[in-house]
Amino acid sequence: MSSQEPIIRVEHLVKRYGEFTAVKGVDFEVHKGEVFGLLGPNGAGKTTTLEMLVGLRKPDKGTAWIGEFDIKKHLERVKEVIGVQLQSTTLFELLTVEEILKMYASFYPKHISIPDLIEDMILSDKRKSRIKSLSGGQKQRLAIALALVHDPWIIFLDEPTTGLDPQARRTLWDIILNLKERGKTVMLTTHYMDEAHVLCDRIAIMDQGLLIALDTPGNLVKNLQSDSAVEFRLPEGAPVLDLKEIEGVKQTGSHKDTQVLYTDNLQQTLTSLIQTASEKDLKLTDLQTRTATLEDVFIHMTGRSLREG
Amino acid sequence: MKAYWQLTLAQLRIFMRNRQVLFWTLAFPIFLMIMLGSFLGNGNGVSVTIGLVDQDHSPQSKQLAAMLKKNEAISLEKSSSEQEALSKLKKGDVQLVLQVPKGYDEEMKTAAKGEKPFTLPVFYNETNMAVSQVGQQLVYNAVDAVSKQQADYKPSVVIDPKGVEALNLRYIDFLVPGIVAMMIMSNNMNGVAGQIASWRERGILRRMQGTTLKAHTFIAAQITARLMLNGLQALIVLGVARLVFDVEIKGSWLTLVSFVILGTLAFMAIGFIIAGIAKTPESAGPIAGFLSFPMLFLGGVFFPIKNMPEFLQPIVHILPIAHLTTAMRETMNVGASFMNLGSEALILSCWLVGAFIAASLTFKWE
Repeated sequence: MSSQEPIIRVEHLVKRYGEFTAVKGVDFEVHKGEVFGLLGPNGAGKTTTLEMLVGLRKPDKGTAWIGEFDIKKHLERVKEVIGVQLQSTTLFELLTVEEILKMYASFYPKHISIPDLIEDMILSDKRKSRIKSLSGGQKQRLAIALALVHDPWIIFLDEPTTGLDPQARRTLWDIILNLKERGKTVMLTTHYMDEAHVLCDRIAIMDQGLLIALDTPGNLVKNLQSDSAVEFRLPEGAPVLDLKEIEGVKQTGSHKDTQVLYTDNLQQTLTSLIQTASEKDLKLTDLQTRTATLEDVFIHMTGRSLREG
Repeated sequence: MKAYWQLTLAQLRIFMRNRQVLFWTLAFPIFLMIMLGSFLGNGNGVSVTIGLVDQDHSPQSKQLAAMLKKNEAISLEKSSSEQEALSKLKKGDVQLVLQVPKGYDEEMKTAAKGEKPFTLPVFYNETNMAVSQVGQQLVYNAVDAVSKQQADYKPSVVIDPKGVEALNLRYIDFLVPGIVAMMIMSNNMNGVAGQIASWRERGILRRMQGTTLKAHTFIAAQITARLMLNGLQALIVLGVARLVFDVEIKGSWLTLVSFVILGTLAFMAIGFIIAGIAKTPESAGPIAGFLSFPMLFLGGVFFPIKNMPEFLQPIVHILPIAHLTTAMRETMNVGASFMNLGSEALILSCWLVGAFIAASLTFKWE
């Protein structure tokens, strides 16, 4: 179970690619035994941050500690205690599941039982199959098996469910929650809100190379101080409406041409909105209401949707 | 150590399961060897087909035919009429036509008494002068032998030709070591460049970099697996050469194996450099081709280096392939020992060391 004991400490990490600064100095801690999510749109710096932690990229400034090991000084020791699944990795396609697991196991001083691992990752009937013949979900489970082969403390997963069908995503969620039950620490990146909500104990939201929020999913939503959202669109060229004047509105947001109102009193806000629109002779389109989610937290904080580039 | 064996094993499995690559890397040298060997394989000698029109059908004319047949360079093709023989000559099916007119037997008996010699007409095609001349010389020799026999002639002076290498070398003997060298070059240089560039592109190397695996373990395993594969391929090619063309290895196997290893390492190192330079796996192929193609023609694989134009000689003499082919050839054809091939070994070693230094400077995991 998660404790407050930090197992990863990130201290002001900076990464530049030429003129472009991908990560602009982030600090955070990951607690032992928790599932920690890095959330953000593409290009937010999630993958770069993760790759610095696992030693695939050298930080330009700052450092991080994994357990008692500094990633800049003791990378070899760090690699022994972490397991990595990278985005868009391909493996030797002509080897079988069992062969590649044996090969990766040989890279480390010690490893766990490979038949057990194959069973845990639901790959038993694919044991002798070539990697080439596996489905997307099976390949992803194999990638996680490779990350676990040396019994690491911490598992880094970079967008583990991207590109998978809903069934395969659910299977993978179960596997990740199972890892947590066994006391592993998991750090993952994702741009799926529902995934972060289901899996993560705490979430760090990144945008444009900066960490803009860090809390439990519940608290992040609660901080919106509103439990409902009203979305609508205004016709093009409509006069600017002062949305704050609508009754019951606590916060407003917008992404693309959709306006969002956050409120605790849905009925009051809706009535007031329709009244205001009628007075000003505006035609509202795509009007809908829903409960506030992490997506709203993100839109509220950045003014952009997560799926936008 | 465990990682080294596992990686070697994995690479060998990949080789064996990639049947198509395995087949074509072997089929090409063997095909080339059989093609060139069959066309040009009968040594430097020229063979001449002579059409014989025997109108005499006597023991004397048969004796002349037998005399011609004794010469290995001549193959006789009998024709019944002069016309038929001449049309074959025009088509190029035969290079020379020798006519034995009626009465040859009779005339021979009288000619022996020292009168005017008998004339045998020989037809040749002027468009194929070189072969015709060789053919005429051969016919002349045969006829001369017959007439000397007739006259009971005893030579007072003879020559005794001796090759300085004291070898009977055919083109195929020259070719096979070249083919083995070519195979070592293309499998390693092109093979390593393509494979490493593609593994890098697909993130395979990157994933391994995320483990405690050391780069030198990875490279050592690559080298081991490729040495095993090359050894096997060289053995197969030499085996085919032995079975089909009866090509022998005069020198020691140890020397031959040493040069196979040295060549493999040198060309692998060059392959690693190409993989380092190439930005995409697609560009690795053309870069490797750009380097290997001239080496094929300048490096003495198919033709002796001596035949290259003068201005190319300095370039030819630094190419690693030139030294590999020379060493293989000297070992196989002449039976030179490793000590005799010191300079070849030294130059290949320089290439090896230089290329590995350059490769380690340009090598990238991603």
